Amino acid sequence: MLADRRSRVARRISRSLAVASVLTAIAAHGPAHAAEPILQTEESDIVTLPPGGPHRVLVEDGVYRHSKDGRVYVVDLDTGRLLGMVQAAYNANMVADPAGKAFYVAETTWERGNRGKRHDILAAYDPRTLEQVADIDLPGRALITPKKPDMAIGADGHYVYVYDSSPTNAVHVYDTGLKSVVRTVDVPGCGLIFPWGNAGFSSICGDGSLANVQMDAKGAPTLTRTPPFFVPDRDPVFEHSPEVAASGHVWFISYSGLIYETTLGAQSSVAKPWSIQEAAGLKAASDTRAPFEVTWRPGGWQLAALRARDSHLFVLMHKGTFWTHKDAGSELWELDLKTHRLVRRIPLAARSMMVGVTQDAQSRIMLTDEAGDLMVLDGADGKPVRKIGALGDALIFTAAPGE
Amino acid sequence: MPNPEDRGAVGVTRNGLDTMAERLARHLAGRSSRRSALARLGGWAAAIPAFPLLPVWRRDARAAAPAAPSPFAAKAQAKDDTKCDYWRYCAIDGNLCTTCGGGVHSCPPGTHPSPTSWIGTCFNPQDRRAYLIAYRDCCGQDACNEQNCLGTDGDLPTYRPQANNDIIWCFGTGSLLYNCSTAVIVGTAE
Repeated sequence: MLADRRSRVARRISRSLAVASVLTAIAAHGPAHAAEPILQTEESDIVTLPPGGPHRVLVEDGVYRHSKDGRVYVVDLDTGRLLGMVQAAYNANMVADPAGKAFYVAETTWERGNRGKRHDILAAYDPRTLEQVADIDLPGRALITPKKPDMAIGADGHYVYVYDSSPTNAVHVYDTGLKSVVRTVDVPGCGLIFPWGNAGFSSICGDGSLANVQMDAKGAPTLTRTPPFFVPDRDPVFEHSPEVAASGHVWFISYSGLIYETTLGAQSSVAKPWSIQEAAGLKAASDTRAPFEVTWRPGGWQLAALRARDSHLFVLMHKGTFWTHKDAGSELWELDLKTHRLVRRIPLAARSMMVGVTQDAQSRIMLTDEAGDLMVLDGADGKPVRKIGALGDALIFTAAPGE
Repeated sequence: MPNPEDRGAVGVTRNGLDTMAERLARHLAGRSSRRSALARLGGWAAAIPAFPLLPVWRRDARAAAPAAPSPFAAKAQAKDDTKCDYWRYCAIDGNLCTTCGGGVHSCPPGTHPSPTSWIGTCFNPQDRRAYLIAYRDCCGQDACNEQNCLGTDGDLPTYRPQANNDIIWCFGTGSLLYNCSTAVIVGTAE
C-alpha cells in the first residue's frame, strides 16, 4: 500500500514537471520565434568563381562506362570541393592557357546522339564563369582514349594544337585570337603534340624519331626530323611523358623505365638515357627481349608528373613483367631529374592510374583509384591531405596552373 | 526391318542432290575456262604475299610455339571467351562483345563491325600455335560496359597505330561510338 501511494505521488510530480517544462519552452521560444524576420524571397543567379590559386585544377573524367558523356571538373584541392564542370564529350581532350586566361576542350558529338552528322568541336571556356568564349567546328580530331599530348597549347597561349589521324596524321592549329583554325600541318608517320615556344611543336614518329614543326610569323610550317633515339618495338616511350611546355623540355619515359631528357626545338636534342630503377639502387629493367622479368616498372595512364620548380619527377611504379605498362601504380617514386637520384618511394593506399602535381611551393599531388576518388597528398612529403570521394568515374588526367 | 519404300524415298533425295551437283558443275564448266580458273588462282597467289604486310607483331610471330611467348600467354585459357584471360584477348582493350550480346567474332544486335582494326598476335595454349587476331570494334551504340578487359601484349603507343589498342577502331561505320570489341582469327602467325 505504502509503495503504491509513493509511486502515485512520484507519477503526479513527474507529470507536473513535464507540463512545467513545456510551458517554459513555449515561454522561452514563442516570442523569439515571432520576432524572427520572415525569410526574404530570392532571385536565381549564377556563381562566378573568384580568381583561382595554384590548387584550383582541372580534372578530366573519361566516364568510360558511357564515354559519350565525358566531362572536365574544376576542383579546389584545398577544400576538396567541386567548383563546377563542363561537358567534354567522347574521348575529349583539354588544355589550360598557361596564364590561366581560358581553358579549351576538344570533343566530338553526333547530331542525333549516337548517330547523324558528326561534329568535332573546340570550345574555349572562361575559367571563372565556365561560359564558352568560343565554340567552333574543327576539321576533325583523332578519336583515341584521351591522352594528354593529343592536344597542346603554345607557351604564350596563342596557338592551340589538336591532333588528327584521319585520313592522315595531322595537327590542326587553332588561333585563340582569331578564334579559328588557321592551318593544318601534316606530320606523316608521327603522332602526339609536345609544344615548344610560342609556335613550335614536336611529334613522335613510328621509327623512334621526332618530327619538329616550327611555324613562321604567317603560320607557315617548316618540318625537320631528328634521327631515331629509341626502338619502339623494343622499348617504346610513353605518350604521357611529362613536359615543361614553356621551355620545351620533355622527359620521355620508356616502358622499361629509361628517361630520355629532351630539349625540343627545330633541332631537338636528346640526352643519353638513364634508368629509374638504377636511380633507386636496383638493376635496370628488361625490355621486350626479356619480357618475363619481374621488377619495378613505370605504368598507368597519366603515369608521371613533373614539378618544374625543383625538377622533381613523380612516377607511378608497380611490380610486374614487361607489357604491364598500363598497370596501376602501387608506389609513387619521386626522382630528382638533375642528380638522377631517387628522393623517396611513397607507398599508395590504393593503386593509381594517374598522378598530377601542382607547381607551387606548397604543392599537392593528385592520385585516383578504381572508385573515381581524387586523393590529395602533400607534395613535400607524400603524406595524405584529403580524399575527394567519388569525384568522378574514370579520372584520366589533370591540368594544374602553370604546368 | 526398314521399310524399302522409305529407303527408296531417301534414294530419290540423293539422286536429286547428285543431279543438282552435276547441273552446277556443268553450269560452271560451261561458263568458266581453264584460263579464268588460272587467273583466279593467280589472284590468290598475288594476294598471299601481300598478307604479311599487314601490321603484325613480328617478334612474337617468330617466338611462337611451343613455349608461351609472353606473360599473358603463359596464364591464358582456351575455354571461356567471356573472361579476360581467354587467349585471344592478349591485347584487347575494352568491353568483351561476348558479354554484350555478341560473340567472339560477332557484333551485338544494333551495332556494326568496323572494317578496320589493328592486329595482334596471340598464343593459343590448346594447340600451342600463335594466331593473328583482328580486334574489330563493334560500333554505333555507347559503351556496353559489361566485362571490361585490358590486354597489353605487344601494345605500342599511338605513334605506332597498327599496334595500339587505345584508338577507337570504328572507322568506316556509321558513327564512331564504341560499344565492344571482338577478337577475330585472321590467320596463323607461324
